[in-house]
Amino acid sequence: MSTATLTLLALGVVNVVVALLLAPLYEGIMRKLRAALHSRKGPPITQPYWDLAKLLGKEDLRSARGALYTLTPALTLGAVLTLALFVPMGARPPLGMAGDIIVVIYVTAMSAVLLMLTAFAGGGPYASVGGSREMMMLLTVEPVMAVALLVGAVKARTLAVSGIVSWQAAHGPTLSTVIAGVAFFLALQAQAGKLPFDVPEADQEIMGGPLIEQSGPRLALFRWALWSKQLVLTVLLVELFVPWPRLGIFPADLALTLLKALVVLLLVALVEVVNPRLRIDQAMGYYMRVAFSSLAALAFAVIGM
Amino acid sequence: MMVDNATVRRLSEVLRERLGPAVRDVKRDAADTLRFVLDRGAVRAAVTALNDEFNARFLISAGTDRRPLSGDYGIEHLFSIDREHLFVVLECAVAPDDARIDSITPIIPGANWAEREFRDVIGVSPEGHPDPRRLIVADDWPADIHPLRRDVPHDCRPEPAVGVRQPLADPPAGANVFAMGPFFPVLEEPSYWRLFTEGETIVGCDFRGFYNHRGIEKLGDSALTYNEIPYLAERICGICGFIHSACYCQAVEKAAEIELPRRAAYIRTLMLELERIHSHLLWLGIAGHILGFDTVLMQVWRIREPVMWLAEEISGNRKTYGMNTIGGVRRDLPDHLVPKLLEVLATLEKECVAVRDAIVGDTILHARAKNVGPLSNDWAKRVCVAGPTARGSGVAIDARIDHPYAAYDEVPVRIAVEQEGDTWARVVVRVNEVLEAIRLMRETVRAMPNGPIVAELAGEIPAGRTAVSVVEAPRGEAVHYVITGGDNRPYRWRVRAPTYPNLQAVPEMVKGQNIADVPITLGSLDPCFSCTERVEALDVRTSELRVYTHDELLRLSPWHRGEEPR
Repeated sequence: MSTATLTLLALGVVNVVVALLLAPLYEGIMRKLRAALHSRKGPPITQPYWDLAKLLGKEDLRSARGALYTLTPALTLGAVLTLALFVPMGARPPLGMAGDIIVVIYVTAMSAVLLMLTAFAGGGPYASVGGSREMMMLLTVEPVMAVALLVGAVKARTLAVSGIVSWQAAHGPTLSTVIAGVAFFLALQAQAGKLPFDVPEADQEIMGGPLIEQSGPRLALFRWALWSKQLVLTVLLVELFVPWPRLGIFPADLALTLLKALVVLLLVALVEVVNPRLRIDQAMGYYMRVAFSSLAALAFAVIGM
Repeated sequence: MMVDNATVRRLSEVLRERLGPAVRDVKRDAADTLRFVLDRGAVRAAVTALNDEFNARFLISAGTDRRPLSGDYGIEHLFSIDREHLFVVLECAVAPDDARIDSITPIIPGANWAEREFRDVIGVSPEGHPDPRRLIVADDWPADIHPLRRDVPHDCRPEPAVGVRQPLADPPAGANVFAMGPFFPVLEEPSYWRLFTEGETIVGCDFRGFYNHRGIEKLGDSALTYNEIPYLAERICGICGFIHSACYCQAVEKAAEIELPRRAAYIRTLMLELERIHSHLLWLGIAGHILGFDTVLMQVWRIREPVMWLAEEISGNRKTYGMNTIGGVRRDLPDHLVPKLLEVLATLEKECVAVRDAIVGDTILHARAKNVGPLSNDWAKRVCVAGPTARGSGVAIDARIDHPYAAYDEVPVRIAVEQEGDTWARVVVRVNEVLEAIRLMRETVRAMPNGPIVAELAGEIPAGRTAVSVVEAPRGEAVHYVITGGDNRPYRWRVRAPTYPNLQAVPEMVKGQNIADVPITLGSLDPCFSCTERVEALDVRTSELRVYTHDELLRLSPWHRGEEPR
């Protein structure tokens, strides 16, 4: 094997390890911040790992049959890990190719679609309501993300994530990319399933929505996938819209990226703590407005601002 | 009291004029209570007259098995004419061989449950009732046993009956059923709301409740004595128990004409307001939680904690103080606690103002609470809701003002009223009431007279007296009605908790709303169903506690005995 292939392989391993093994830690830190703002002591930051370990060791109970239903937890986690391979983490993305931002958009949607399929397969009313809310959120949040990515693409004149990152690193912030970055951040809140946009899960209304009938290892995999997704998308955000400074030394760049991701996720946790939950129509209305505002960013990008 | 005798005269005249000889008798049970003894056929006409001419508000109905006394069943409808500070009781005798009476629900929708309840427990059927399904008895309770009849012992355990279960309402064509309950996380207590939905929009709903009916009234008139009942009454509610023991004691004091020492009245006022503060703060936290706003829950419960400590210092308990007794209270407020009490109130007031400002300025809270769960002024009056639920819809009633008790005649309340009738209005009413309660507590402590805290009781409580008593609980007015009996216990003790009328308003409030709005709409009533989460059995001889397992409970269920599951 050539060195280039080996490097890519190594980068791939790094990305998967970050997405899988660090995601629960980020969740743990977010919980700690939440607790602090609640005047609580909160669980130890390693609690999410223990949660996963406990759930993975439990009996596997299923409320529906069929190969797809059986596989959805694994497929969801798989989709998120695939996404991780398209995201640069301190270096170029392990699976970069021309036009890969389209793939990123698709793969991001995939985990949500799989969760929806799981919800509808069980047939329970809470899961069904959760599933349809998941779909409505997906339909309004994905366009925001897509437009934000497209702004980067227009500026860098490439449809490759790595191309956008290097253009950004070289040229510094512009009006359109800043707006697009903010829009991406707002979409992240919903993608991470955090308040005020955790409408599809809404514990107090539909008791966890799509996840209500999941337990044990299946629940563990879904949880893990959602935590990983939240981290991977955050890394994508910081790499695309705040890639500076680029030191060129991989471990330093990786550490910097992860640190920036922590700051962003703490902001996400902060927004979560100070907001009650929106209703689905209000959440959709909100993202429609964000989508239209990000279209302005696209217009700015086209005229070169 | 402030009852105007001209009103009493006019009331008698109007009813006599409209009903003629059907008015058998008019009695003045107490200065503020007027009783009309009617032919049972005249009950609807009498209710119409009270409704049209006097704006009377229905409180509750009481059914009494009077066969050992007068050979009949007594049905009494209790009303309050709030502006006149007057209670009106319509009493009808119903013969046991023709146990029927005209239903008043077609005139007063708020009488719906009350009439179904006396049908269940006494066996007098309300004729022409729009929804005559069983209400409070269990699904397998035999149809021919009416638990509040005198010949049914309080520990009666009939063989479970088959095929008597109440049918649940069917959804309209094209609608789905979204079950909220019998156990649902934000309801905390069992109650079953079947929401009929099209998409996420609610087109109707059906209710089944009373899963934990504890037979408290039955125990009161068959197993306990006058002075034991306050401790049972206090356990009617785990949050506002003091309200119920105070309300019961007031009813007995009124019936027996016992004068409450002023200091006792002030201590009751103090504890009632203390309870209002901690109840409203508890509610505010839960309301935040229902909307996913756990920061509100955690912070509000943090500032509530010193209130609980204060209650513990005064009474020895955080909750369920055991302080009320007939004729007074059992614990004095020691002088050395007063500075501490004022200090806690000062901190609390500062923090409550901060919470209020934070809530009032939160735009998402506005979005989630404004125009959500609307209850119109007209419907609020017709369903006879009470407390903040009524005051949030512009119905300016408050038992502390309309029927002053304890020391509220000397420490008057400033009523909090909002007009909008939505969840937001109910939030605002309660938040303002917390601040008002803090002010009231300060005034009470400042004005508290010295003296005895319990009245000397002169002899036995005479039999055959009646009294209506109300206390403004945090959720609305609690009503206790007592008919005194001969064996050192009430002949009949009727309790109406404020959630009883308030829940009946829910179907109208959720119609056309989103599923997401139902928890907070229900929550905005501050509902209080009952407080048992699982079945524990305590063997009193061996003090052994045993918790039933899932399988054991399943074996006891009707489903297990071969009935179709719902």
